[in-house]
Amino acid sequence: MPRTSGKPTPSPALEVDGLSARYGEAQALREVTLHVAQGELVTLVGRNGAGKTTLLRCVMGLHRESSGSIRLNGREISGLAAHERARAGLGYVPDDRGIFATLAVEENLTLPPIVANTRWPLARIYETFPVLRERRAHAGTKLSGGEQQMLSIARALRTGAGVLLLDEPTEGLAPVLVQRVAAMLQEAKREGTTVLLVEQNLRFATTVADRHYLLAQGQIVEALANQEVIARESELLRHLGV
Amino acid sequence: MEYVALQLFNGLVNGAFYALLSLGLAVIFGVLRVVNFAHGALYMLGAFAAYLLLQDFGVGFWVALIVAPIGIGIAGMVLERLLIRRLYGLDPLYNFLLTFGLTLMIQDGVRLRYGLQGQPYPAPAELAGSVSAGLVAYPTYRLFVIAFSIVVCVAVWYVIERTRLGMIVRAATERPELTRALGINVDRWVTPVFGFGVALAALGGVLAAPMRNVSPLMGSELIIFAFAVVVIGGMGSIAGAVVAGFLVGVLASLAAIFNPALENVIAFALMAVVLLVRPAGLFGSLEARS
Amino acid sequence: MKRTIAGSLVGLLLAAACGGGPGGGPPAKLTDGKLVIAVINDQSGVYADLSGKNAVEAVNMAVEDFKAKYGENALGGKVEVLTADHQNKADVAQQKAQEFYERSNADVILDVPTSSAALAIADVAKAQQKLYLNVSAATTVLTGKSCNKYTFHYAYDTYMLAQGTGITVTQQGGKSWYIIYPNYAFGQDMESSFRQAVIAAGGTVIQSDGSPFPNTTGDFSSLLLKAGSLKPQVLGAMQAGGDLVNVVKQYNEFKLKDQNIKLAVGLLFDTDITALGQDALAGTVYTTPWLWNMDDQSKAFADKFLKRTGIRPTFAHAGNYSAAWQYMDAVRRAGSDDADAVVKQLEGYKFSDFFIRNGFVRPEDHWVQHDALIAQVKPKSEAKETFDYSKVVSTIAAEKASRPLSEAGCSMPK
Repeated sequence: MPRTSGKPTPSPALEVDGLSARYGEAQALREVTLHVAQGELVTLVGRNGAGKTTLLRCVMGLHRESSGSIRLNGREISGLAAHERARAGLGYVPDDRGIFATLAVEENLTLPPIVANTRWPLARIYETFPVLRERRAHAGTKLSGGEQQMLSIARALRTGAGVLLLDEPTEGLAPVLVQRVAAMLQEAKREGTTVLLVEQNLRFATTVADRHYLLAQGQIVEALANQEVIARESELLRHLGV
Repeated sequence: MEYVALQLFNGLVNGAFYALLSLGLAVIFGVLRVVNFAHGALYMLGAFAAYLLLQDFGVGFWVALIVAPIGIGIAGMVLERLLIRRLYGLDPLYNFLLTFGLTLMIQDGVRLRYGLQGQPYPAPAELAGSVSAGLVAYPTYRLFVIAFSIVVCVAVWYVIERTRLGMIVRAATERPELTRALGINVDRWVTPVFGFGVALAALGGVLAAPMRNVSPLMGSELIIFAFAVVVIGGMGSIAGAVVAGFLVGVLASLAAIFNPALENVIAFALMAVVLLVRPAGLFGSLEARS
Repeated sequence: MKRTIAGSLVGLLLAAACGGGPGGGPPAKLTDGKLVIAVINDQSGVYADLSGKNAVEAVNMAVEDFKAKYGENALGGKVEVLTADHQNKADVAQQKAQEFYERSNADVILDVPTSSAALAIADVAKAQQKLYLNVSAATTVLTGKSCNKYTFHYAYDTYMLAQGTGITVTQQGGKSWYIIYPNYAFGQDMESSFRQAVIAAGGTVIQSDGSPFPNTTGDFSSLLLKAGSLKPQVLGAMQAGGDLVNVVKQYNEFKLKDQNIKLAVGLLFDTDITALGQDALAGTVYTTPWLWNMDDQSKAFADKFLKRTGIRPTFAHAGNYSAAWQYMDAVRRAGSDDADAVVKQLEGYKFSDFFIRNGFVRPEDHWVQHDALIAQVKPKSEAKETFDYSKVVSTIAAEKASRPLSEAGCSMPK
């Protein structure tokens, strides 16, 4: 198991140990082990089909055919149902943003229960994203793609969850919006939120992340420090097939 | 002209029953992904409960209107806990078969005791009269059925659209898995939602008792229409079920002016057209798009 | 198991003891050593209450009583009663009849409500050359176009109902009619029979409308509204069973009576009165071949039937008892269960029993003609017991209640 950044930091917020998953006959994840320290922002990079989304779904408790250990702030959560994991402090931003068409913008924001002291009450979200306030009574899916992404991240932040799982939040966004997402994540990190981010966009990943894991064919093949990714950018881009 | 206007009222009365039944079906399908075939039998139980309350306990219509749906709703919750729950996660066909079997058992159970021919049930004295409407005296009770079911539909709409509970139901209907991932214990709402849908069916049954033959088969015939209405409105769409219910009722009654045989056909013709033009249903597609 | 063995032992002993029985005469010769009576009817659908399982029970009673009268061995072997549910489907009925005649060696088929199913079995009886006594179906086609050597129509038909109710109501002043009928064989037959009867009695039929059958919504309000706008003197409802119940419920709901639109009902069974409540129908005049409370003879049967089944018999129950009895008696007289020999015994036979009065089996079309009754539903206050629903108003003589042979359109192949 390659581990360039040495021992895990003293207090890991999220630890995944020997996680395997399958879809029927197909093995999707093989013995994946990784950790994210408190307040750390770690990305998971890899080709399409490498198993990144499956990994997040496993952590969130949405994929049943899996085995291995998952600990949140030292507490084993692999036996918990998805909603219990959310209440234990996991925030989830799915790859399709997960905005409900039958819920208004404000309902989308307030649907998940608050699980801890939040630094992102509704007032602050509206202050930061006035468009969400303006359109709070509209159906969630009436927002533009970028607005929906902000809504999805804001929704996760509002719950006060300590660990956020984000699945490609920059996908399909204009550069100016990518910057906004970056700013948002950096702010959350400053406030002590831990983030595990699935990302294809290396430029974005290196802007916001502390470390990276490279996932290929369901396995962690490398753990990389931010500097290494910057240094090996073209080689990694080739690997990712971007 | 007068005849057409009165037919419109008849259409609304029929539509009221379609709406109540489909509403329950839609709520149940939305949250549980169960096509509850037993819905018609539970509607029938509502009517029989009203009959039994009157016959054996001297309890009248107004009390029955409250007691029967609650009692049968609770029975529905027990049913969900004991049986339906076991089949979640399997092919929906299994629950369809289960509820179909339950239908047969409930119907035959009632038949064994009361026979097929049906039982009498009078309209409540307060509503037994009629309102003069030119051609005929329009029964007050029918006007009550229209008004009452509209009130119920609006109340359900309010709960679904304007309360946190309704928000959870809508979210779970649209994307149950994501709703769980956002920290909502969807399973906790499954049993009450099933009970609520069943209670709506039973409420329809109580309302039908003074107008229709109270017989074990009264629901098995109506349920087919309710399914057509649900498909027309869009599977799982709350507003769709209500609007399509009244729509089918009114269209069928107006069609009957030209030819009585059309009354039974119109719902299925409409369903075929909707499936061809807008496969997700009148409201289903609106929600899925945009 | 033990009880069955004991039962058959007792039966054997009784048979040995009674010998030819009080009836005397040599026992009949049975082709396969036993007489098989098959009852085919609706045991799960809308007509299950008016005939159904209890009609089978009535036939069992007839068999027991027949043995008690003529001795266990009067027919030269044991009598077996078989039964099947035709689910009101013509194809099921046809298949069951075929099975009974061919595989179970059934000698006769009884009952068979639902006109389409009844007609299907008439064809099977004709092809198989076995007897068929229809009791519960109403269609006149059984003794008309579909008549054949082996088919007999026993209790009632649409002509009888129309002659009784149609003519009586018209003569009482209900001149203009609006007829609503279920749109299938039975309803269409009823509509034409009533139309003829009303016109013959000097009335007019303003309009007639078919209602969907089966009527899945149970809603007849559009037809009743139309009645309100047509303003006939009589609304003739030809629906049967649950459909009729819905029509009457909604007729009362729309208060058509208050607008002087009288309700005439084509076919009314006691089970319909139960479903509607006696008072909802009080005063309604209708035609029936028999009422359980019409006289002491009928009451005696009804008492026995009540003990056995817990209910009072409908005319279909009584008719099945009577038909089974008359069939067995014909076998006894013929001394054989050979179908042609039994037909010969039945044709032209004159008889009366508790069900049939002034009975005569017309050889030309096999209509079993007999007196019919005009009955009226009593208000509950006049009822002596729960099932005391109706009283006899008058009797229609057998000939008048029977369709003239000239109208039957039956050419009986000999």
